[in-house]
Amino acid sequence: MTVAWIGNRDALVQDAVKHAAELLAASRCPVISIDVDIEGTRAAIALAQRIGAAYDHPDPGVARETAAFVDAGGIFASPGEVRRRADLVVLVGGLPQEAQAFVAELAETTPDLAGANARDFFLVGNGTAFPAGSNVTSTSLTCEGTDLAGTVAALRARHAGRHTAAPVENLDQFVDALSGARFTTFICSGSDAHPLVLEMMQGLVADLNKKVRASILALPSSEAGWGSTLVSTWTTGFPLRTSFSRGAAEFDPWRWNVGRMIEEGEADLHLWIAATPGRQPPPRENIGLIALTKTDQPVADAAVTIPIGEPGEDHDAVMFSNRIGTIAARKAESSDLPSSASILKAIAEHLPAETDSPC
Amino acid sequence: MLTRIEGGQVIDPVNGRHGVGDVWIEDGIIVEPPAGRQPDTTIDATGCIVMAGAIDIHSHIGGGNVNTARLLLPEHHSAHLPRPTATPLSNLGWTAYQTGCLYAQMGFTTVVEPAMAPGNALHTHLELADIPIIDKATLAILGNDDFLLSLVRDNASTGMIEDYVAWTVASSRALGVKVINAGGSAAFKENVRTFSLDDVVPSYGVSSRNIVKVLQAAVTNLGIPHPLHVHCNNLGVPGAADTAAATIAAAEGVPLHLAHLQFYGYGTEGKRRFSSAASQLAELVNSTPEITVDVGQVMFGQTVTISSDVLRQFSARRNANPKKSVIIDGDGNGGGIVPYSYRKDLYGSLQWAAGLELFLLINDPWRVFFTTDHPNGAPFTAYPALFELLMRREARSEMMEGLHRGALELTTLPSLDREYTLEEIAIMTRAAPAKLLGLTDRGHMGPGAIGDVAVYRKDADISKMFGAAAFVFKNGELVVKDGDVVALRWGKALRLMTQPDQAIVKRLETYHQERYGLSLDWFDFPDWAIGREQPFGEVQCKA
Repeated sequence: MTVAWIGNRDALVQDAVKHAAELLAASRCPVISIDVDIEGTRAAIALAQRIGAAYDHPDPGVARETAAFVDAGGIFASPGEVRRRADLVVLVGGLPQEAQAFVAELAETTPDLAGANARDFFLVGNGTAFPAGSNVTSTSLTCEGTDLAGTVAALRARHAGRHTAAPVENLDQFVDALSGARFTTFICSGSDAHPLVLEMMQGLVADLNKKVRASILALPSSEAGWGSTLVSTWTTGFPLRTSFSRGAAEFDPWRWNVGRMIEEGEADLHLWIAATPGRQPPPRENIGLIALTKTDQPVADAAVTIPIGEPGEDHDAVMFSNRIGTIAARKAESSDLPSSASILKAIAEHLPAETDSPC
Repeated sequence: MLTRIEGGQVIDPVNGRHGVGDVWIEDGIIVEPPAGRQPDTTIDATGCIVMAGAIDIHSHIGGGNVNTARLLLPEHHSAHLPRPTATPLSNLGWTAYQTGCLYAQMGFTTVVEPAMAPGNALHTHLELADIPIIDKATLAILGNDDFLLSLVRDNASTGMIEDYVAWTVASSRALGVKVINAGGSAAFKENVRTFSLDDVVPSYGVSSRNIVKVLQAAVTNLGIPHPLHVHCNNLGVPGAADTAAATIAAAEGVPLHLAHLQFYGYGTEGKRRFSSAASQLAELVNSTPEITVDVGQVMFGQTVTISSDVLRQFSARRNANPKKSVIIDGDGNGGGIVPYSYRKDLYGSLQWAAGLELFLLINDPWRVFFTTDHPNGAPFTAYPALFELLMRREARSEMMEGLHRGALELTTLPSLDREYTLEEIAIMTRAAPAKLLGLTDRGHMGPGAIGDVAVYRKDADISKMFGAAAFVFKNGELVVKDGDVVALRWGKALRLMTQPDQAIVKRLETYHQERYGLSLDWFDFPDWAIGREQPFGEVQCKA
């Protein structure tokens, strides 16, 4: 039988679940970090509604991507179309580790649609590197004395025929490549880029689309985080950084930033749900911790630790995939570890029948 | 459990009932009045109208594009308003949960999401599974996907094309097939900016007409009950009536359904070269019996347009209100999200009038369907007001008072006196949709039908009457009382049981491995992924 812990003491899972429910019911300002699959997110949001909690994903890149999307929208491409159609690929800034395999795949393949049979690569910023041993050649677009944001801004300005304080290195090669390209794709992520960089990229793509076709492949900095964003959106109408503290769902990306609420001492209890192994909860002072994670030992200073399985590894799961740009089912080898959803539902069942919103 | 709905004015066109009487439901199924037995529950429907649960054949209620719209516009959700917290997750804005509740409160019990990208089917069904009370169904989009276009280009056999369509419907758990600006999205990826019925998709040499005809034949030959659901080319363009007319002519005696015809009901007369051609289109529909249409009525106010017609949405970006939009170059069609506010100016007034002209000038209520193309013409919550406009010419006159004079002069609406009867409403929103979709178990209240029943308290205020049903039963369970949801249940997504040939599965596996570097498993999913017990209901193909 799976063991859980209350403090550092071994406990039956059902006892740990019951104790977690008592702590959540007593909390005046609970917060939830969600880093799990679709079903786990469904259960976590339902629990947040019961206890009046705010919820968020621990990766701030998810919030940056959401901000860019909400503020400006844009023109996006699916990974499948990029693989098959993009004959000019521009990698902007650093990309998440989860995306490296797809970048390598692009380097190893050529487009097969619309008559294209070769792919050129450009790099903007210093964050992206092709895998070791890759034969791909790429051209860097840099702007001396500035960062990624400045380089992207200079690129857009120069494309629009405006002057910049410093030249963009290799701009002529890029202009030549653009003039011959059938479908240009910029690949970027909130893992490395500020929302204004992402928005500036969309501005450049909008400019290009006045005459040619171009699009952006946005690779989320966290697959689990983007999956949770989608679930939250259809469940509450809002993305992550939403709270039920006043009963109805409220979206406020500053106020319900769980990391900030912990750091500034607003929260009094942190429900940390991290199905991916190797993650650590954020440091905190005078804030209780309930940890749901894949572990064989109690999490340091946690009031309750309950082991959960890794989605798609320990239990069947449904997750967002960067590789296909949508949600997919993953069959797993079964293990003794329960899913986060099953634990969260068990906790909810132990809450008092009329749990009032505490804040 | 035996329920008697007693003494209401029963309107059931399929079974020829129109008068005061009872409806009996036992264990979720409508039954003959059982001789000598007493009901467990009696519902007093005196002074009420009793109809089968309503069916919406075209409403964008879930899936990637719908969720993208939510994500783009969090400021437009009513969740900013304080609401009670009595039911789980009910105090939310434009959500999956609220979609089911609001539909049920109006007496709707089945709703079709008409634009599911097959590659995004799991996401779509996850959202639909979170819509409570009502049954759902989807139409799978084909006609801009490389696999089909390549088959058509290579003159593949009709059998192979039918196998592919059958596999798509089966794997995506769809009830039918939709084609959206056939070839237009594929052409747009190659920088084509306008695309009409006889234009050719670059790299394939296949015309839009060709794609529509191939899919129409496949749907017909497979015995898919719902005719091919067509979103024509040139949506929203002045002069689009010509495109719609050409598409109607292309039906050639075989059933074809044209979606949201209002958005094509535009001529090029007047100073702004924008006029109503709805009366001409209505005449064509009247004289072409194989054609069915839904209207896509425009109502005034803020909404967001959601479409997999990427070419159209790309050009609509300049009119976005607020000024932001999303365009997705997706596999196959992709999508476009453009927020928009319909105003009482020349354009909005004329669109509003053109939709009503179609409703009032198409004679046969079995062939014209009640939609706003939610949320493109208006949110579905505008339905009660639209019923009032159809059933009371005074309501139309009052509304026209505040509209653009010049626009109304370019329509025939001011001269139309027709008022829909309750019988016609029952046909248009119950009997005809069930027939069109091949759902023999609903849309009527004959013995054997499922216990989906809506009871409306008669009221001179038609909008009020249809806005909050007195009672709604779903599968025999009372789910709405006096306009409020009183019980929650999870409906099913209705899917068609097509039987794809294994040879096409093998071919598709090879195709996906070679072209996408992925197993076909990534584009299919097991039922357990939905996370609910028995999420699907099965519908049979025609023999």
